[in-house]
Amino acid sequence: MKILIVEDEHKMAEYLCKGLTEQGCTVDLAANGIDGQHLAIQHEYDVIVLDVMLPGLDGFSVLRSLRTVKQTPVIMLTARDRVEDRIKGLHDGADDYLIKPFSFLELLARLQALTRRGRAQEPAQLRIGDLQIDLLSRKAYRNNTRIDLTAKEFALLAIMARRQGEILSKTAIAELVWDMNFDSNTNVVEVAIKRLRAKIDAPFDQKLLHTIRGMGYVLEPRASESPVHEHDEHDGEDG
Amino acid sequence: MRHSIIARLVLMFAAAALVIFSLIGGVLYAVVKNELLRHERDGLVTTFNDIEYMVSRVGTVDRWARVQTKLDTLTPADGKVRFWVFSDDPQFSYGKDLAELHDFDYDPDNIGRLRIKGKEFPLHTLTKVLPAYLDRPAIRLTIGVDTEPYFETLRTFVVAMIGLSLAGIFLVILFGYWIARAGLQPLKKMSDKAQTLSPQNLSERLTVSALPDELSDLAQAFNGALDRMENAYKQLEAFNADVAHELRTPLANLIGETQVALSRERSAPEFEIVLQSNLEELDRLRSIINDMLFLARCDQGEAATSLVYTAIADEVQKTIEFFEFVLDEMQMSVEVVGDVGAKSMIETALFRRALTNLLQNAIQHSPAGARITVSIDAQQQDEQQRVQVAVSNPGEPIEQRHLPRLFDRFYRVDSARRDFDGVHGHGLGLAIVKAIALMHGGTAFANSKSGKTTIGFTVGGKAA
Repeated sequence: MKILIVEDEHKMAEYLCKGLTEQGCTVDLAANGIDGQHLAIQHEYDVIVLDVMLPGLDGFSVLRSLRTVKQTPVIMLTARDRVEDRIKGLHDGADDYLIKPFSFLELLARLQALTRRGRAQEPAQLRIGDLQIDLLSRKAYRNNTRIDLTAKEFALLAIMARRQGEILSKTAIAELVWDMNFDSNTNVVEVAIKRLRAKIDAPFDQKLLHTIRGMGYVLEPRASESPVHEHDEHDGEDG
Repeated sequence: MRHSIIARLVLMFAAAALVIFSLIGGVLYAVVKNELLRHERDGLVTTFNDIEYMVSRVGTVDRWARVQTKLDTLTPADGKVRFWVFSDDPQFSYGKDLAELHDFDYDPDNIGRLRIKGKEFPLHTLTKVLPAYLDRPAIRLTIGVDTEPYFETLRTFVVAMIGLSLAGIFLVILFGYWIARAGLQPLKKMSDKAQTLSPQNLSERLTVSALPDELSDLAQAFNGALDRMENAYKQLEAFNADVAHELRTPLANLIGETQVALSRERSAPEFEIVLQSNLEELDRLRSIINDMLFLARCDQGEAATSLVYTAIADEVQKTIEFFEFVLDEMQMSVEVVGDVGAKSMIETALFRRALTNLLQNAIQHSPAGARITVSIDAQQQDEQQRVQVAVSNPGEPIEQRHLPRLFDRFYRVDSARRDFDGVHGHGLGLAIVKAIALMHGGTAFANSKSGKTTIGFTVGGKAA
């Protein structure tokens, strides 16, 4: 995936570049609006990450001149959380909008969502290690043993399985499973993960559901299983 | 244009004086005029009666000559009184310019008015026809009295009256100015005092008891405004302190932990743990800042925008579902009662957020196994469906004095209790509930009695 980042703040540009490169993306950087506009128009990108407040030419102007030429997906970044700004950005043709401070995971998820749009249908069957999930009949098996899950537990598992290997923050999980689109400061996700873990991981040797402390959870088979940090009691407050 | 109360008062005093003096002057003028006229007429009648008595008993030409002499002597040199006798027989006539004056008018009372050449003022006349006597035929006797003194007196009176009135009005203005100034002195004192109030001495107030009745209301209102301002000021100060404190704790953790980590060589997994811990603190900071920004947007009057006509019970059910696992774990249950069919215009994400905070609050403050109630109450109000959503939980009662402040930012009933089962809110949850209620044109409320605490909010009032 080829990404252009237009961001004047050095630190942010750097970590975005590093993080995205490590995710396997090709990243170009522009530190001001004029360079950003030039690169965006001259080259082909899968997606552009565009800061609103830029020296030279602000993000809205860059976006407007870009939209006269092409329809590259654009995510706007801003520190100003005003409805008018959001409306202005979306009106000018931005595809998404992130407010600083945002989590890197969230940016990653949005980038993937933008580039995934219009892709082929997902398969009806998912497989993570020896865990098998049938999305149509809404059943899960491990080692061909049926795992009995409630509707919400299955929804949680399916969402994590669809994004296997991807770290999901608690906020993202709350949004995807319960449609709770805000920082909720609750321990709902921890409790849910605990229950799911008790059903899909506890009886088996290979653990699939991992806690990434401070970031969220990931569902993936890990070859060499490092002892799981049981931090669930501590990492209550992120979201 | 700026108004001066003193100028207004003086102007009104002057206007009142003008009206009063005009009225008095007018009435006096009428009275004086009438009196003068009556007096003059009395004189005329007396003179006339004397002359009539003398003339009526004269019947011969001889004696008439004596009458003429007598009338001559009675006629003063300045012509202030004049006599005329009109007769068909010239021998029995008397007076100047008889021919010219012959046909002047007089009214049935025999009173008339006569203008004479060379005289500024007319003469008042009394005329009477005397019957024939001996040789003398019937004659018409007319006596004229000059009105000059009468008009002179009237004129003098009017001039004096106007002069007096003007002088009076001038004095009224002078006194009025002085009275108004003196009368407004307490106001000036009050404003001088008010000017000395500053943010440095917030607790100072106007002394109401020292002020006159009329100003005490104003002063009380002013003091009330000061009270509210002082409260707001103090709250702001406390709020700033709270914010600083809330931010300082995670910052202290971040700085300390990072310094400890860097102070000696460590392995990558050790650093990983530090970074993870730092990330948690950073996320806490982010969460506080986001919530504060949300509240700030509400403070700036941002209203809910994407309002949808929604069944409240559905949203309540979805929010309860969110807590399904937590409730299960705590062996709690939630019951929805009231108008389950109620609908209102809400922004669903905001509504869920508010209810999530309320449920979270209820769960935190209830003993295990408790039964939480969500009551929905629809009220029709001015063609608008107002829906009240309240969450009740059994638990320790909250003291009355805390109730109104529950919705204040960072307010904690029990400052020691912060963490609960791995979850620590940062004291903005209920403030957000209130903000969301306001964004929907509603309010938030709390009460606590007989072991049951109820906190709720309304939506669907007039849009904020």
